[in-house]
Amino acid sequence: MSRVIGIDLGTTNSCVSVVENGQSTVIPNSGGYKTTPSMFGISQDGRRLVGHLAKRQAITNARNTAFAAKRLIGRRFDDPEVQKTIELSPYEIVRGPNDDPRIKIGGKTFTCPEIAGIVLREMKRVAEEYLSETVHEAVITVPAYFNDTQRQCTKDAGKIAGLEVLRIINEPTAAALSYGMNREGDEKIAVYDLGGGTFDISILEMSEGVIEVLATSGNTFLGGEDFDRRIVQHLIKWFEETEGMDLRGDTMALQRLKDASEKAKCDLSMRDVVEINLPFIASDSEGPRHLNYELTRESLENLVHDVVEGTLKSVEQCCVDAGIQAQDIDQVVLVGGQTRMPLVQKRVAEYFGKRPHKGVNPDEVVGLGAAVQAAALLDSDNDMLLLDVTPLSLGIGTYGGHFARLIERNTTVPVSKGHIFTTTRDNQSAVKIRVLQGESDMAAESDLLGEFVLSGIRPAPKGEPEIEVSFDIDANGIVSVSARDLATGKEQSITVSSTGTLSDTEIDEIIQAHDIYEVELKG
Amino acid sequence: MESLSTAMDGVDRVLGNVPDQKEQVLARSKECDATRLNLSSAEGYLISRIDGATSWRLLREIGGIPSDQVDICLSRWIAEGTLEIVAGKAPKKAAARPKSESKAGLTIADAQSSASAERVEDGYLVTDEGALDDRLDISLNIQKRILEFEVGLGRPYHVLLGVARGADPKTVKRAYLSLSKEFHPDRYFRKEIGGYGERLDRIFKKVLEAHEILSDPELCQVQNLSANLNGAGSADLAPNVAPSVSLLDSVESASQSSVPSRELSKLERLRQRMPFKINHAAIAERRARADEIFRAAQASQQSGRLTEAEASLRIAISFDPGRSEFKEALGSLRMAAAGTRATQLLAKPSDRMSSGELFEALSLLEDVLPYRPHDPELNERAARVCLQLGRLDDAREYADTLLLRSPESAPAHMLLGRIHRDCGEMDEAVSAFEKALKFDEEDLEARRALASVRIGARDAARGEKS
Repeated sequence: MSRVIGIDLGTTNSCVSVVENGQSTVIPNSGGYKTTPSMFGISQDGRRLVGHLAKRQAITNARNTAFAAKRLIGRRFDDPEVQKTIELSPYEIVRGPNDDPRIKIGGKTFTCPEIAGIVLREMKRVAEEYLSETVHEAVITVPAYFNDTQRQCTKDAGKIAGLEVLRIINEPTAAALSYGMNREGDEKIAVYDLGGGTFDISILEMSEGVIEVLATSGNTFLGGEDFDRRIVQHLIKWFEETEGMDLRGDTMALQRLKDASEKAKCDLSMRDVVEINLPFIASDSEGPRHLNYELTRESLENLVHDVVEGTLKSVEQCCVDAGIQAQDIDQVVLVGGQTRMPLVQKRVAEYFGKRPHKGVNPDEVVGLGAAVQAAALLDSDNDMLLLDVTPLSLGIGTYGGHFARLIERNTTVPVSKGHIFTTTRDNQSAVKIRVLQGESDMAAESDLLGEFVLSGIRPAPKGEPEIEVSFDIDANGIVSVSARDLATGKEQSITVSSTGTLSDTEIDEIIQAHDIYEVELKG
Repeated sequence: MESLSTAMDGVDRVLGNVPDQKEQVLARSKECDATRLNLSSAEGYLISRIDGATSWRLLREIGGIPSDQVDICLSRWIAEGTLEIVAGKAPKKAAARPKSESKAGLTIADAQSSASAERVEDGYLVTDEGALDDRLDISLNIQKRILEFEVGLGRPYHVLLGVARGADPKTVKRAYLSLSKEFHPDRYFRKEIGGYGERLDRIFKKVLEAHEILSDPELCQVQNLSANLNGAGSADLAPNVAPSVSLLDSVESASQSSVPSRELSKLERLRQRMPFKINHAAIAERRARADEIFRAAQASQQSGRLTEAEASLRIAISFDPGRSEFKEALGSLRMAAAGTRATQLLAKPSDRMSSGELFEALSLLEDVLPYRPHDPELNERAARVCLQLGRLDDAREYADTLLLRSPESAPAHMLLGRIHRDCGEMDEAVSAFEKALKFDEEDLEARRALASVRIGARDAARGEKS
């Protein structure tokens, strides 16, 4: 049996791992790097470039280099996140026929699962080179807040890459798995994941090799980019005070400020002071102006202090959801590049009353965890078990446009739950069961997964008939819903299959197109 | 554990002299080594209840198998020397102690031995031994374990998890995780396990449910309460048993466990489970807002701003869909809004309306009816309009509602008869017309209709003959 790899498909970088002889290892690519940029570009002469090759030419060929497809995958074109990405992206994003965002580079239009699939294919190739055998199966990680469509699109991407995706697991869960491997005893683990654009906190419990998610919380609009923005604002204000010029309207200057701020932020994790040097940032009648600023770690910390405190609010909420105190946490695992910042480490350590776990690399821990889950599923020697959870609440729409949640988010699967509902009109003979997903209390704000009608209810005054609605999620995450009239025993049910933004035929077409391309490449 | 269906072995040897011994208290004899007895799990469960304190009578109720079979087993064991009679009366506290420590912890192994003692029909355990299959990717021992556990899924939650009633959350959690490790479907991912996949699925879901309830004090209380109400005989059992709390608990639960899986309807179990917690604060807030909006609506209505009032009422209803006065208010508001047109329209007999008027009347009625579903007049109107429009099913529904309210109204029966007639259901039509005549002998229309239907039927019969 060929081996199964674990892939952390990141927004900026991806990472592939495998479990060998009971140890999880990150597989380096041919360049010796442990992570590979999630980038895909088409060069001027029409060559397709992935990973480091794509990144190397990204600056000179920005319009034809796609990155951060993860921000777009599984979303509608009108999604605010997509609109925000369109503003920031040097490449063109167009509306696809399924109302999905598509990326136009090198004169061709690519769907987001396709771009992700190309990156996954590269990760597969890296693994195959290292293992000297073909790889067919993978476990892939996604952010905890990803909804069904986004997860399904990630699965489709795997299919396009020629991988069968055994499971999609949450990134914080993967981090905990990686930490928990080969570890005995009972522990409560907090995974603090501060990435580029989002913040996630998960609390998990590990006991005798069983890992259970207790609670997840976070903020999808808070991340490392907020740190950059604070520095940019600070610099603009300082420039305005000293030079009397407002840089806000100058997009070119803003982009330079942003890049410099990000670099300064990273450098300040290692050094106490950095110099930000931006010559010719602007000019007026008196001639060109230069920006020259010395940023100390202390002043950076003052700038972003409240952002860090904001993450701790989410942490507090998560502890409440999990029903535990901060000091009950036995281990804190840090994930994401932003957690390299000393202030973040310090505040997290202060909050939990213990130093974060040092043994893991925040860039690699998620990918390693994916490999651990793959091994846990298939390797009979591996004794770990992940009790996975549903990412979003499930329920049905009820009278008055309410959303009755039957299965709360973070419920362990497989699970089945039922509840009794009734009619709202006298002699009502049929009820419509609308299966919804989401966290809102209103049906209109939730995603409709499917609907069906249970008819033949015996005439009775309203409120009297008893209709049992049961939800069932099996170990593979397949949801089925049934409704039964307890008086007559009549039953109706549906299986809700999650769909991505592409149909099966579209995926097959893409796969075929890529196969032809591969053949061309080899020939 | 080895043999699953041998509960009745040696039954024939010992019959008789049983019922008089009810007050006897039994204990295992010193030479007795339960592990060598080669007992079925039902027997194992029974013998584990014998502690030198529990009376024979009690054992019959808590043994997990029908009482006559308890008698048989006990008699046999006494004859074999496995058990001895300790006393004629239940001894007090002291005698209860020896077993209590193992009960308090009621380890998972204990639960396992009692696992399949649950569903016993005619003395035979109903594990599906035919399901054992050595070609599967799963050892026969594990297969047996799965089958046995599955059979006992109807037991009370704490017995299922193998913990004492009221066990602390940590113990519950540990038991849950340990069972998860054993039964989670992922343990056999990609393995050839035949029908065991579904069994594991069922088991895991139940274990999950048990953990959820037991680790939530609120749900647990509801569960216990209803279990006590349903547990036949447990109430009068309690005082008789020695005062070790955990012992009492396990006895009580065992006594219920032999009954409830059949006694409790699925509905009752569902009700006990309360799958979602109700956020009372949020509901109260919504109600308050609904009231506020309702008052605003009333104010608008009084000042004649009817559209505004209607919009407010709709919002109020969306905030608190259960309040009938909101709906009634909306209904009367709409009636008022429809105003003169409705009065005019509905005053006209339906058989003299044009089809446009009929549709208008129907939509008017359909607007109003949901708020006054029982109003006889509205229902009659609706039935007549529908009849005229040829919407016979709807017409019949309205006529039925009407008759529910006024079962002795001749015009109502008359109307139903006409609907039946138009549907071609002559027998029903005849009986409806007859009823109309019964309530109003003077009803000429009914007489005429009846006659014409009968003539029609006769003609049809003749036509068929010729």
